Amino acid sequence: MDTADITARPDTIGDERLAYRGVFQRLLIRPEIGAIIGTIAIWIFFWAVAIPFGTVGGTSSILDVSATLGIMAVAVSMLMIGGEFDLSAGAATGALGIVTILMVKNVGAMGGAGLSLFVAIPISLVLALGLGWFNGTMVERLRLPSFIVTLGSFFILKGSKLGFSKLIVDQIQVGRINEGSGYGFWRQIFASEWQRNDHQFGGRDFIYTAGIIGGFTAVTIAVHELSYVRRKVFDPKGAVLFVGGLAGGVAGVVFMHVADSSASNWGAGLVIGTSILVGFFGYGLWRFESRPTWAGLSLPSDARSSLGIGLGLVAAGIISSLIFDPSSTKELAFLVTEQGLRAMLFVGLTSAGLTYMVIAVRRGGVAGPTSKAVLLATLAATLAILAFLIKSESVSQKFRGVVFVVLLVGAALLVSWAISTATHVERRFPDHAADRLGGVLAVGGLIAITIGVILRLLFTTNAEIAAGISPTKFSVRILWFVGVAVLATWVLGRTRFGSWTFAVGGNKDAARQVGVPAARTKTQLFMIVAVAAWLVGLLLAFRLNTLQSGTGDGLEFEYIIAAAVGGTLLTGGYGSAFGGAIGAVIMAIAKQGIPFSRWNSDWRFVFLGGILLLAVIANNLIREKAEASR
Amino acid sequence: MTAPTLEIEGISKFYGNINALHDITTSVDSGEVTCVLGDNGAGKSTFIKILAGAHRQSEGTLRMDGKEVSFDSPRDALAMGIATVYQDLAMVPLMSVWRNFFLGSEPTKSLGPISWIDIDKAKTVAKEEMAKMGIDIRDTEQTVGTLSGGERQSVAIARAAYFGAKVLILDEPTSALGVKQSGMVLKYIVAARQRGLAVIFITHNPHHAWPVGDRFMILNRGQSLGNFAKDEITREELVTMMAGGAELEELTHELEGA
Repeated sequence: MDTADITARPDTIGDERLAYRGVFQRLLIRPEIGAIIGTIAIWIFFWAVAIPFGTVGGTSSILDVSATLGIMAVAVSMLMIGGEFDLSAGAATGALGIVTILMVKNVGAMGGAGLSLFVAIPISLVLALGLGWFNGTMVERLRLPSFIVTLGSFFILKGSKLGFSKLIVDQIQVGRINEGSGYGFWRQIFASEWQRNDHQFGGRDFIYTAGIIGGFTAVTIAVHELSYVRRKVFDPKGAVLFVGGLAGGVAGVVFMHVADSSASNWGAGLVIGTSILVGFFGYGLWRFESRPTWAGLSLPSDARSSLGIGLGLVAAGIISSLIFDPSSTKELAFLVTEQGLRAMLFVGLTSAGLTYMVIAVRRGGVAGPTSKAVLLATLAATLAILAFLIKSESVSQKFRGVVFVVLLVGAALLVSWAISTATHVERRFPDHAADRLGGVLAVGGLIAITIGVILRLLFTTNAEIAAGISPTKFSVRILWFVGVAVLATWVLGRTRFGSWTFAVGGNKDAARQVGVPAARTKTQLFMIVAVAAWLVGLLLAFRLNTLQSGTGDGLEFEYIIAAAVGGTLLTGGYGSAFGGAIGAVIMAIAKQGIPFSRWNSDWRFVFLGGILLLAVIANNLIREKAEASR
Repeated sequence: MTAPTLEIEGISKFYGNINALHDITTSVDSGEVTCVLGDNGAGKSTFIKILAGAHRQSEGTLRMDGKEVSFDSPRDALAMGIATVYQDLAMVPLMSVWRNFFLGSEPTKSLGPISWIDIDKAKTVAKEEMAKMGIDIRDTEQTVGTLSGGERQSVAIARAAYFGAKVLILDEPTSALGVKQSGMVLKYIVAARQRGLAVIFITHNPHHAWPVGDRFMILNRGQSLGNFAKDEITREELVTMMAGGAELEELTHELEGA
C-alpha cells in the first residue's frame, strides 16, 4: 500500500471512477430513512409533553395500535411498489372478520353455519385469496385503473357487511366468536397476551444497563472503524489508554448504582465523562493513523454565518426561558399558557439553533479538520450549557433527569469526535477488514441495545412490584406485525417475486418484455393485501369478540398514508416494506400521543395531514438525492 | 451451404385494408449484421413486431436454421432465441443495473421450497458479462436511471447475449443518441457480431448502418427497395436510396430554385 498519500490510498477492489461513499452516506439514501428520523423526532416530541411516553404501558399501547395498522401498511406498501392501490383493503379487514364469525355462529333468523373455527378460518382465508384474485384479475384483464376497481370492491364489501349482518343476525354488529368450537386454540394464536406483571427477572436492570452502555460503546467504536484510516502498526500506548477508559467508565457506572447521594452522582458523572474522552482518545491512538501535521484553522464565511445564527438562536431560546414564568398557567391567547409559550420558545429556538450549528459543522468541515473540530467543540459546549440550564430551570422532572444526562453524554461524545477529527485521517476508500469489524460492532451494538430494551419492556423486578406498578399486557399481534414486516422485507429484497414487484411498478412494459409475468405478479400482490386483511380481521375478531359492520371502513387511506410516510412512491417502483411498518408506528405515536398529552383529539387529523405532507416532502428530497448520488 | 440463422421470405402484413408490409425477403446469419433501413412510416415497426412475435404475418414464412417457425407471443420468440431490444422499453430506471440485467431470469439459491436470488452471483456475472462486451460499468448497484442512453442500450445488448439469444433485434438503438454515444452502441453491435450473434439492426441512419452492416435491406412505404450484400452496394448508393433517391433530387431542385 502507498505510504506517500494516505488520504487517497489506491484501491484494488473498487473502481477508480467511483467516489468512495462512506457507510453513513449509503445509509442516508435508503427509502425509509426519512421515516426513521421522523419517528424519533415525533417520539421525542410526545415524550416531552405526555407522561405515558417512555413508560412500559405507553410503549405497549403504541405497539398495539401499530400492529394492525402496520400489518396492512406493509402489504399495501408492497402493492404500491407494484404500482397499484387497493381501496378495499380497509373494508376487507372487517368483512373477513365478520364472515368468520358468521360461519361459526349458530343463531339468528337464518341461523349461522355453526362451523368449527378449524373449518371457518381456512374458508375465510380462501375467501380472502379469492377477493385478492378478483381485484387483481379485474385490474389486469380489463385494464382498468386499480383505483376504480377497488373502489367498487370497497362499496360491495361495505354494503355486504351491513346487508348480511342485518339479514343473518338482524344487528349491525356481529358477535361472539367465542361460541365457535376450537376457540381456545385459535385464541392462543391470534389474541394471547403476555402479562408483564407475571414475569419477574431479577437481573433485568443489570442486563438493560449493560446492553445500553455496551451497545452504544460498540456503535461508537464502529463509527471510528468506519471513519478513519487504520495504522499499519498499532500503537500499544493507545490500547492501554482505551482499556483504562473502559475500566473507568464501568467503575463510574457501578459506583453510581451503588452509591445514592447527589455528591457521589456528581463524582461518578465526572469519572464517566473523563473515561469516555480518555477511552476513545486511546482507541484512536491505538488503531488509527495520526495526522502528520496540524491543519490550519479557517472558517469559510457560510460556516461563520450559520454558526452565528445558530448561537444567536440558542441564546434567544435561553433568554426566553429566563424571562417567562415557568409556573404560570395564565392563558395568553388561543389555548397557549405562559408556561407553554416558554416551553415552545425554548425548545423551538434552541433546536433551530442547534440545527444551524450542525449545518455550520458540515460547511466548516470543507475547510479542514481543525475547523471542523473547533466547530464540534463549540457545539459540545453549547449542549453542556443547555444541559445545566435545563437541570436548574426546568419544571419537568423528566427533563431535569433524562435530558440533562443525554445532553451531557452527547457533549462528551462530540468532544471525543472533535479530538478524533483533529488528530486522525478520515478514510476515503474501502478497507475490508475495518468495514467488516465496523459492521459487526454496529450490528452487535444495536442488538445489545434492542435486547436491553426488550427485556425491560417484558419483565418486572421485585422492586417494581413492591412499588405497585400498574399491570401491562403485550398482545401477540405485535409479534405478527414484526413477523410480517421482516418477511415482506426479505421477499422484496431477496426473492424473484420481490424484484418483479419493483419491475412491474417501475416499468411494466419493460418487465413484460424480458419475461416477467406482470399480470400474475400484480394479482399475487392483491392477494397478499387480502391475506393481510384476513389476518387483521381475525386479530380484531379475537380481540373484540364482536365486530361492528363498519369495522375497517375508511382505514384504507391510513394504510396508504403509512406507506407514503415510509417512503413508498405513489406511482410505484420505489419504496420498502420496512418503511411502511415505520410509517405505521409514526401514525400510532401520533394517534396515541394526542390523547396522552390530554389535547383535544378532534385535532388529530390536522396532525396526521401535517405529518403526511412533511414526510412526502422529505422523502422526495431523499429520493432525488438517492438518484443523483448513485 | 447451410441455411442462415433467420430467413424471412415474402412477408406481408395487412391491417384491415392497410397494406403495412409487402413481400419482404431478407436473411441474417450468425456473426452477421443485417441492417433494415427505412424512414418513418416505412414499416420498420411492423417488421420488428412480426420478428419479435408480437404480431403475426399475414403472408410469408419465417425460417430459423432452415426450419419454418411461427410465434404466438414475445415469449415464444424469446424461447426460440430471438431477443428484441426496444429503444425505450428496455429497462426499469429505478432498479439497479444487476437487477435489470437478470430481470425475469434471476439466478436463485434454494432450501427446500424456499428460493431466493443469489445476489453475489448476479452481481459478479452482470459485471463480467458487460466487461466481455467492452462495457465498463462503475457499480452494478447503480440505478439504470442514472446511466446514459448508450449505456442503457449496451446493458440490454449484453443481457440478450448472455441469455443465449441467437438473433438480436435492435430497434433504432442510435436514434436518440449523440454522436459519441452512437459510436459506442455501434461498437457493441460489432462486439455482439463477433460473439456469433445474428444481429438485425433497424435504423433510419445509413451512416450508422454502413460501418457495421453485412447486408442491407431498404424499406419504403412497406415495400422492399432491395436486399443487398455489402459488396453489392456502395455507401453513396445506400444513402441515396435511403433518402428516397429521385424524390430527394426533386426536393433539392425545389429548395435551390427558391
